[in-house]
Amino acid sequence: MRLALLAGLLGVLLFSRARQDVIGQQAEPLRWIEAGAGGTLPAEMYFHNADGKLGVLLTGGPIEMKGHAFFEPQGINPRGCVTCHQPSNAMSVSVEAIRERWRVTNGEDPIFAAVDGSNNPKLPQALASSHSLLLNRGLFRVGLPWPPADKTVKPEFIIEIVRDPTGVNLDDTYGLKGVNPTISVFRRPRLSANLKYVLSPDDVFNIKTGTLMAVDPETGKPASMNMMADARHLTLRQQANGAYRDHQEGRQGLLRREALEQIVAFEQQVYLAQSHDRWGGSLVETNGPSGLGPRALADGKIHVLANNNRDPVFRLFDAWKTPATMAKELTDAQREFRASVARGNDVFMFRQFWIRDAAHINSIGLGNPIKRTCATCHNTQMTGQDLAPGWVDVGTVNYPTWTEPPVFSDNAELPVFKLTCDKGAAPHPYLGRVIYTNDPGRALITGKCADIGSIVMGQFRGLAARAPYFSNGSAKNLRELVDFYDRRFDMKLTEQEKVDLVNFLSVL
Amino acid sequence: MRKALLVLLVSGSALFSGGTTAQRNATPPAHRRNFVACPIVRDTKTLPCWLAEYEGELYFLGLQGSSASEFYPPQLNHEVLVEGTVTNEPRICGGIPLKPLRISVLPELNRACNTLLPAENGLEAPAAVARRFSEDLRKPGTDISQREFIIPFDFDSDYLTFHTTRIVGEAARIAKAINAAKIEVRGYRATTWLSNGKQFIETETIADQRANKVGEILVGLGLPAAAVTVISQNEPEPYDGVTDTDKRRVTVRLFTP
Repeated sequence: MRLALLAGLLGVLLFSRARQDVIGQQAEPLRWIEAGAGGTLPAEMYFHNADGKLGVLLTGGPIEMKGHAFFEPQGINPRGCVTCHQPSNAMSVSVEAIRERWRVTNGEDPIFAAVDGSNNPKLPQALASSHSLLLNRGLFRVGLPWPPADKTVKPEFIIEIVRDPTGVNLDDTYGLKGVNPTISVFRRPRLSANLKYVLSPDDVFNIKTGTLMAVDPETGKPASMNMMADARHLTLRQQANGAYRDHQEGRQGLLRREALEQIVAFEQQVYLAQSHDRWGGSLVETNGPSGLGPRALADGKIHVLANNNRDPVFRLFDAWKTPATMAKELTDAQREFRASVARGNDVFMFRQFWIRDAAHINSIGLGNPIKRTCATCHNTQMTGQDLAPGWVDVGTVNYPTWTEPPVFSDNAELPVFKLTCDKGAAPHPYLGRVIYTNDPGRALITGKCADIGSIVMGQFRGLAARAPYFSNGSAKNLRELVDFYDRRFDMKLTEQEKVDLVNFLSVL
Repeated sequence: MRKALLVLLVSGSALFSGGTTAQRNATPPAHRRNFVACPIVRDTKTLPCWLAEYEGELYFLGLQGSSASEFYPPQLNHEVLVEGTVTNEPRICGGIPLKPLRISVLPELNRACNTLLPAENGLEAPAAVARRFSEDLRKPGTDISQREFIIPFDFDSDYLTFHTTRIVGEAARIAKAINAAKIEVRGYRATTWLSNGKQFIETETIADQRANKVGEILVGLGLPAAAVTVISQNEPEPYDGVTDTDKRRVTVRLFTP
């Protein structure tokens, strides 16, 4: 009886909080920005999410969206860049927001454009089931030519389609046997923010390949290769033109010069991070952790290798380790939360485990396995990407470490490709020469067997605003993300460590 | 770019004919341990140790490091070629140290190579060498007197490590500084004489792969393609069980006008 009462009370409290959040969100006029709607984007914005608030900063000042190429349709469909890169969603787009758009527009929102916002352009577009990958996992279709468009690439493997739940890969127009043979994979949109870190090049040599780094055609200098999931575009201009062609169905080949420059200039001034906790308290405190909030991102130094205890990846959380050093006005719940975040940072930085069978981590001279930490790979200060080109097969898209249903399952959502590598090619270091995957990743660009399933790691910022996670949206929330790593690397995390890690990730 | 390079294949059979008959009848050097085995990783209270067993004896290979370390550890799920000289030094992590030592991870999967041992009292790792930050290592040199560069490779590999990319980078820097008229890149293929008397010969195309890769990098670093000559010596040089590791290489020679 007492338990039932308690549960009821808890339910009321939860309902009240959920309702409050919804009301708060509805009150945010920029919660969803429609392409072409006009208006002003302020220089500083805050958006509610389940873990508090996200802060977005435009270092160049407010932006008039009317006539601005980032916010206006450029192609033949009514999408703009903003359609899939919403400030409230950490310049990406969450499943929660996508579902809301389906509800509000009855599926008419341009985000559901047949070209890539549906499972297959030939399916009946009025049905939600035709957009299930977008509605359930936040995934857009990315059609890539196979063999690669770069004719100097000699593929080391053949691709067979083993499972095609969307029908698009076996389609006679859009598929592998079409006039323009194409492999369709399904991926999450990445953040168009904090880009000075993402675009910061490493060295002349690419430590992953032992060859020269790809060169930025605009500057002649090494490119970071950390922007796209498969590193196929090296610069913001290349990416913008690619998005114009593939996502906005642009028919002019390239964006107009002025539009291109406007998009790039805007993207280079956007910084974001979680800014407030779920009680409304600012995460940016005097004498508190200095790596939190969007201003820290705007002011931070680029290309800092931070897998150390002197100047860690998201800087020091010492002030949150004990109540005595926390801000005086905090409630007990806030203090408890901050202590958990500080412990989570320690788990991220210092909790060792065996990192094993991760291609392009273990295989680049570190040894297999290595006893290191999360920060070994997620080593770039402020973003948690890899300072070197960050494509890694961490196991999210390849069998057997993926979290997808069995290949023969009728409930599967994603395609499965069987890749068979040439006998003479260097095999995938841990999967050999026959690999089942739902996204070959970097290998669709390089044609290399060793790259199958390698995906460029993404930023860790604004996570609370943009679930789900991983390139294939396979982690619905931060807990699922932590659980994946716990299983994948047999980390043996305690329940407390998991909670601490989730809290830590939620404030980034 | 590969086509832009002048590729000259030197027939090795004439150069080395008859060079190996005597070696086949000899015994491998007793002080050397050249063998293929599954590596073993042993956890310790500090850094994991890497070991390998040969004929009932355990040998210490090295410690876990970073990508800037001189020693790149082996890989579970892969066999390793060990080429080292036995020392009288105290055992480390239970294994006899080999110095000098070269190891090569063999590319094919072998899932039987899966031994991970727990930390035990009395089997401690030595203190790690102070870590050198890669930024320091990336600084180019200032001397321009060097004219020949030797880039070593692991067995059957054309992968350039953090350290060997520095050698290629230095060659390019000096070639530019002296305005080299000709840059000769010569790739080699080698045989390892294993302690069991067998020969372990690299893939036929490995000399080509190595030479072409280094040649392409030099051109990519700004040297004129017409000045870069790539030569592949596909016939393995004689082996002796001692210096075989040195023969898996690419040489870069700079010629002034």
